[in-house]
Amino acid sequence: MVPAAPGQAVALVTGAAQGLGRATALRLAADGFVVAVNDVADDGRLTDLAGQIGGLAVPGDIADPDAVTNMTRTVIGRLGRVDTLVANAAAMEMGPFLTQDPQIWWRQVEVNLSGHFRVIQSVVPHMRGAGGGRIVLIASGWGVIGHPNATAYAASKAGLIALAKGLGRELGPQGILTNAIAPAYIDTEQLRVDAADLGITLDEMRQRYRELVPTGQLATVGDIAGAVAFLAGPGGSAFVGQVLQPSGGVTRTRA
Amino acid sequence: MSAPDCSMPPVALVTGAASGIGAETAALFRRRGWRTAGIDLRPSDTDQSVQCDVTDAAAMRAAIDGIAAKAGRIDAAVSAAGYYEEGIDVCDISRAQWDSMLAVILGGTVNTCAAVLPHLMARQGGTIIAISSELALAGSATDLHYVAAKGAVLGLVKSLAAELAATPIRVNAVAPGPTDTPLLAADSLWRKPDYLATLPLGRLVRPDEVAATVYYLATEGVMYCGEVLSPNAGAVI
Repeated sequence: MVPAAPGQAVALVTGAAQGLGRATALRLAADGFVVAVNDVADDGRLTDLAGQIGGLAVPGDIADPDAVTNMTRTVIGRLGRVDTLVANAAAMEMGPFLTQDPQIWWRQVEVNLSGHFRVIQSVVPHMRGAGGGRIVLIASGWGVIGHPNATAYAASKAGLIALAKGLGRELGPQGILTNAIAPAYIDTEQLRVDAADLGITLDEMRQRYRELVPTGQLATVGDIAGAVAFLAGPGGSAFVGQVLQPSGGVTRTRA
Repeated sequence: MSAPDCSMPPVALVTGAASGIGAETAALFRRRGWRTAGIDLRPSDTDQSVQCDVTDAAAMRAAIDGIAAKAGRIDAAVSAAGYYEEGIDVCDISRAQWDSMLAVILGGTVNTCAAVLPHLMARQGGTIIAISSELALAGSATDLHYVAAKGAVLGLVKSLAAELAATPIRVNAVAPGPTDTPLLAADSLWRKPDYLATLPLGRLVRPDEVAATVYYLATEGVMYCGEVLSPNAGAVI
């Protein structure tokens, strides 16, 4: 691994071991980025992905401030810069508001919202030094319209939307463009977890979710990675503080 | 209806294609290998330039049927035709000014959708993208007829998108911030440094940034249904 070539942009993607984060890393690499990939731990998948895309694996729990500091130090030390941050890592566990273990409730906020707050804090000085950057926050349609038994997740994702709007205003004048994406139902590994929770098959789970989407389709991880690539790419230069909602019509611009 | 010729590049139909956002959008689709058709009162730099008034429903149907017949298909329709007037107190907006604005911006979008939809339905696919305005999201002053018309376009887009959700046809809107086009007069309020300083990006939006958003929706926007995308330099957050 050598520092990015002059003119070659560097992206950091959190939660990249699987699903949407992995698809995003692959897409950004295909679009010409050198991609640093983070996840809470490296069970081999991060290293494999980094090898596949010529990127850099930077495992670490973003809920841990020291781990965040180390991660960004490694990315800067090895790649020289961070042009784009994709805040994708997320903890999620469903449970009724009054009975969910407070530790589980707050862990979701700690990772999804506070963790990314610290990641943003650590990369912004480098973006400022380079004269600009892009920050793409992966929020959720549930952060826009809510969902039963998902109060912590929805709160954390709604917090990310507010963060995108605030940072858009605060950092926009410095050329750092922050936006959010709020997908609804994506066909990822998470569906297996949801299906197991309900004791139904994966196909039954897919069908149930399709019925909640006006267009009757689940997003692919590629669809959402495409939205990230748009916001991170040359076409996204007039977007700041916005919330893209490729939700199949679930939310229709309510954020 | 002949079967679409899959060996031919896709076709983008753009209204208001002779200048500004419409012209930039048609040019981008062409650069990316699409065939283009432009509808405008004036000639446009497109593969099929048709001079037609978007407020004339029958003429629009004939124009769009003709374009589809000649090109064999329509894949994307972009409703960008419009004009702008500012600096008019609400009490001074004349009936003619109001009617004309509604006829061009809302009526033009309705006529475009109505004429293009049968072609999209016939081949069960395609996308419609209407150009609205950030002013429709947050309101404005001294241009009430324009804001009302652009807001009406958003209502049309969201409802038509929902109506067509079960089909593969997608309908969405792009609501740019004040954009550096001939529609903004040299002395427009939106060009004044005092106003631009209030924007997080401190500048007007460029037409190519709006075109890039339209192109993204047309090529990777399968999950957008009744959405409003806002390349607005932070004018409305």
